[in-house]
This record gives sequence, C-alpha cells and structure tokens, in this order.
Amino acid sequence: MFSLEKISIGVQTALNNSLPAFWALMAQFAIVGVLVISLFAVLGLVLVFMERKVSAYMQIRLGPNRVGYKGTAQTLADTLKLLVKEGLIPDGADKFLFRLAPYVVMISAMLLMAPIPFSRNFQIWDINIGVLYISAISSMAVIGILMAGWSSNNKYSLLGAMRSGAQIVSYELSAGLSVLSIVILSGSLQLSEIIQSQENGWWLFKGHIPAVIAFVIFIIAVTAETNRAPFDLAEAESELTAGFHTEYSGMRFALFFLAEYANIFIVCAIGATLFLGGWMPFHVGSWSAFNQIMDYIPGSIWFFGKTFLLIFVIMWFRWTFPRLRIDQLLNLEWKYLLPIGLINLLLITVMAILGWHF
Amino acid sequence: MNMESIVFYMLAFLVLSGGIMAVTARKIFRSAIYLLFSLVGIAGLYFLLAYEFLAAVQVVVYVGGIVVLIIFSIFLTQAADSDLPKALRGRKVFSFLATAAGFALVLTQILRHNFIPSGSEPVSTNVTEIGLRMLSTGEGGYALPFEVVSVLLLAAMIGCIVIAIKKPGNS
Amino acid sequence: MGFLKNYIKTVYEAVSSLLKGMKRTGYYFTHHKEIITQSYPDNKDTMILPERFRGEVVMPHTDSNEHRCTGCTACELACPNGTIKIITKFEMTPEGKKKKALDTFVYHLELCTMCNLCIEACPTNAIKMAQNFEHSVYDRSQLTKTLNKEGSKLMEGVE
Repeated sequence: MFSLEKISIGVQTALNNSLPAFWALMAQFAIVGVLVISLFAVLGLVLVFMERKVSAYMQIRLGPNRVGYKGTAQTLADTLKLLVKEGLIPDGADKFLFRLAPYVVMISAMLLMAPIPFSRNFQIWDINIGVLYISAISSMAVIGILMAGWSSNNKYSLLGAMRSGAQIVSYELSAGLSVLSIVILSGSLQLSEIIQSQENGWWLFKGHIPAVIAFVIFIIAVTAETNRAPFDLAEAESELTAGFHTEYSGMRFALFFLAEYANIFIVCAIGATLFLGGWMPFHVGSWSAFNQIMDYIPGSIWFFGKTFLLIFVIMWFRWTFPRLRIDQLLNLEWKYLLPIGLINLLLITVMAILGWHF
Repeated sequence: MNMESIVFYMLAFLVLSGGIMAVTARKIFRSAIYLLFSLVGIAGLYFLLAYEFLAAVQVVVYVGGIVVLIIFSIFLTQAADSDLPKALRGRKVFSFLATAAGFALVLTQILRHNFIPSGSEPVSTNVTEIGLRMLSTGEGGYALPFEVVSVLLLAAMIGCIVIAIKKPGNS
Repeated sequence: MGFLKNYIKTVYEAVSSLLKGMKRTGYYFTHHKEIITQSYPDNKDTMILPERFRGEVVMPHTDSNEHRCTGCTACELACPNGTIKIITKFEMTPEGKKKKALDTFVYHLELCTMCNLCIEACPTNAIKMAQNFEHSVYDRSQLTKTLNKEGSKLMEGVE
C-alpha cells in the first residue's frame, strides 16, 4: 500500500548507509528544503486555480478555461507573467526593508510547515510544543506585513498594514482559545499525540457541541488572520487599492500572493489536524471492521482531503459574505468570539475533567 | 569546530549585530526591526539549547507582542521617514561609559565563573511539568508570582478601560 | 437576563442569516449547469442575444429600396449627445408642391450610448435598434455612418 512513511524511512536509511552522518543530515536538509519549496509552488498554482474556479461557479460563471486543458495552465501563465515583470521600488521607499518584507512573510510561512504531519510519521519536525510553536511563528508574519506597509512610503500601504496588524493581533486570541480547547481535550501540545488521541474518533465529534463551537470560532478567526474576505479590510480594494502590497510588483508581489495562499493551506491543515484528526482515517469508537476498511485509504489522502475541504469552506465564505466594517470587525471579536470562546473553554475544561467526552 | 558551534556563532553574530544596529540606526522603524532580529536570534539560541518552550514563548512575547507594540506606537506617533536627531557629544560619552562598565561587569562575572562541562544529554522539559510547577504552592512552586502577575495585568486592563471609557454626556 | 436573551438571539440570527447566504452560493456551486456566461466567440454561430439588447441604430429598407424616414429630425432633437445629424432636401411632389425629405441620415456610432430615445421619438418607426455589437474598426472615421442607402426614397403613404 502507498505510504509516505515507508518512502521517508527508505530515503533516510539509504542516505545514512551511503554518506557520513554529517553529509547525510545535510542531504536531508536539502531534500526537505526542496520538498517544502516545491510544495509551496504547487500549492500556489493549485489554490489560485481552485479559488478562481470556485468563485466562478458560485457566481454562475465559467472561470478560466482557455490556457491548457480546461484552463488548468492559467495560473502557470500568470506566474510566468509575474516572473518577467519589472519589480519597481517606489521613490522614497526604505529599499532594504522593502526588499526584506516579502521574505519575512514567506519564511514565516515556510517555518510553519515544519510541525505539520502529512501522514503517519511523515513530519519535518515533531516538536513537543507543536501548537505553541505554530502560534509563535504565525505571529511573525505580522512583522513582515507591517514592514511592507511602512517601507512602501505610501499612505494606503501604511493604513492597510496597520489594519492588518490590529486584525491579526486581536483574532489570534480567539484562534488561540479554540486551539487551547483541543489541547485540553487531548492533553498534549505535540501534534502527533493530538492526532493519536483521535484514533477512536475525531475531536469534532468526540467533544460534543463545545468542540463544534470551538471549530466554528477557529475557522472564523483564521479567516480573519489570513486577511481574507469577509475580513479583507487590510487590502480592501475599494478603499486602500491593495493595502500593504499596493507598491509591490513582479516577483515580490508574487511572494506575498504565494505566502497568502500558503498561509491558507497551513491554517486549514492545522484546523484539520486539531479538529478532524489530520491523517487519521475516519474511525468510529469500537467498530473495528469499519475502522479497518477506512485504514485502506492512505493517511496522506485523508490529510489533503480534509485540508482542501476546509480550504473550500474558507473560499465559500469569501465568495458569499460582504466585507465587514472596522467597528463590526472589532465588535465581532471582542463582543462575540472572545466571550463565547472563553465560556466554551470553561465548558470544555469541565468536560475534560469529568471525562464526559468519548 | 562542530555543527553546534557554527550555529551558535551565527546566532551570536545575529544577536550582537542586531543589537548594535538597533541602537545606532538613524531611523526609528529600522531600530525596531533590528531589535526584532536580535530577539529572534535569542529565540534561536534557546532552540539550540533544546529548550523549545522558552524559545516559543520568547517569539510569542517579544516578536508577536512587544515588537508589534513598538511598531504600532511608531506608526501612530512618529513622522515615519524623518531621521532621529544626532545624539549630543556628552550623551554619547556617557552612554559609552555606561555600556563599557556594564560589559566589564558581565565579562568579569563570566571569566570568574567556573563552568563545568556536563557532557550529559540536554534535559527536555515537558509542558506538563512547567504547568504543574507554575501552579504549585509547594517547594519551588510559582503560584504566588503567577497570581501577582495576573493581578498586575488585570490592573493594567482596568486602567486601559478607564482611560478609553466615554464620559457620560460627552459623546 | 434580558441582555443575555438578546445576546443569544443576535448570535442565532447572525448565524442563521450567514447560513442562508452560504446555502444560496452553495446552490449555485452545485448547479453549474445554469451558467449564464456565453463562451463567445466559440459560440458565435449559435449565440442568442437577449431580445432587448441594443447594439446600434439602423434604418430598415424594403426590397424596393424604400425607407420610412420623413426627415422630421425628431430623433436628432431627442438625442442627448448629438449622435444623429439629419440633412434634409426639398423634393417636388407630383402636385408641384415643395416637400421636405431626407437627404442623408448621419449616425455617429462612436458617440452613441444606445439609450433608445431616438427610436422612441420617431413618429414613423423609421429607425430601430439592431443587435450587432462587433463594432471595432481601425479608423475612427469608419464609425460615422450613413443610415439611408444610396438612392433610397420614402415609402409610399408615410407622412
């Protein structure tokens, strides 16, 4: 049966047998780096195409359908266009920070790939504080956005960056609280252990209604954190042209664009891991026959299936809801999501102590 | 030189150069960014020591919290593109002396201390232990400082609300 | 308690209205057979334009090269942006009377906004809107058209 675990172990033993330990480690670094970068590239192509098709179908349109088979090469053509475009730096911009900003955003997105388990034992770094690591690194992307907004020497960029920063900082709280509720239920910060704890059912189903509420809050908060509609105040086209990346063009703009889609993938992967069991197939308690049938589908397919389902939900939000105003945005966070999240966390703690979950 | 010391020197260079550039930069926003590099370098050192919890907390608190706060206050108060005024000569001399004294103090302490190479595997502290220690009232427990800090934060929050609240009849 | 009741009611109403919106877009997403976009120019031969689509002003002529325009300039007066210019001439009727008649109907397509006011103003239904929309040309002067054909004359009985 196809399994990523066997491939990774095979590669590891082959490297260790043929190379000295230091160079084997270096080769593994190189392989992991190439894999992450190529995953990013593929994700960028696939997700942009998916977004365009989903939006088209939701608006009863056709979407891209000219380049390649049914338009599948459209994003490839767009990437090629971005590659050959001139990257302008505006007058009066802080050139060093202007150049640095896209890389900060991109690197923080890449670092977030490290603890995500794609399949059983197929994970770059099974760090024992996985969830904390994720929330730590994801707060670094704000700096890149603020840097881009400030160094562009453009008032729209600055306003967009400030909105984006305020939004990310405040919605991180709700996202953190709902992540915390799963940490309480599973009793671990390590992502592999969180998945293992869902062997007899996903937390979304095992945790009764509070887990569902936590899931809904998580989805809303990460939609806001990735600056996507209906929370796209940071780049509100009608008010701020394009927000913090107004002045960016060519490849630097492409990096921001790619990081945005990579971040969507990452938050959805984390949501799938915490609430929907990651690579863990759909198991129901003690139905061992049913569970065995489900095990025939490889974990990587489960993982990508769940992640793309969540990505679809987030795209569905984007193409359904109108943009919020800034006061509505803050009301939603501080008057609704945060209090509900806190009470929900309390409920889940009581549930976990009394052992009411399955 | 093994892998570990190479990484250590790279991180040390990042921390030190970030720190020096943060205090010498002419633009205040750049200072904040160099400070960020320095703080990230320190988090990297914690990661090198296999003390992941502290490293992650360093990033959450300093990078995600304090540097963002600093940047926000720069955005809201400073004219973004103007240079900072040049420091006075007297101040320069004084700060150089203060830095030199501090450096000498730290250096003498480090040189006088007798470091014992342990040779054992790095101890990995798991989060459960940290959590239990944080809330234990027994020997070496941190329950009291923990609660005092929470009262401090509560006071700060109430202060914020009092400042931000609308006075009646002054809408 | 009233506050709490209100709060829960707000949350409930918000969630249900959001779900209603998502149901609508979800319906569209799953029913993409209803797509209304035309894949022009692939379907150029079979394309059906809506009945009320307005492409340009034309003047229909009969087989014997007769039109219904009396040259009354009602359309010229009705036009909000000077698209139409009517040049008239005087013809002798068989009774020996002078009568005003159409000489040239100049139509500036580049100025036209397809507002349909000229068609509504016409007392004799001489002009109408056609559905042709592929108007691009290489020279702007080609957009100035003469609507009445060479040697055409007024239809019998149209006053």
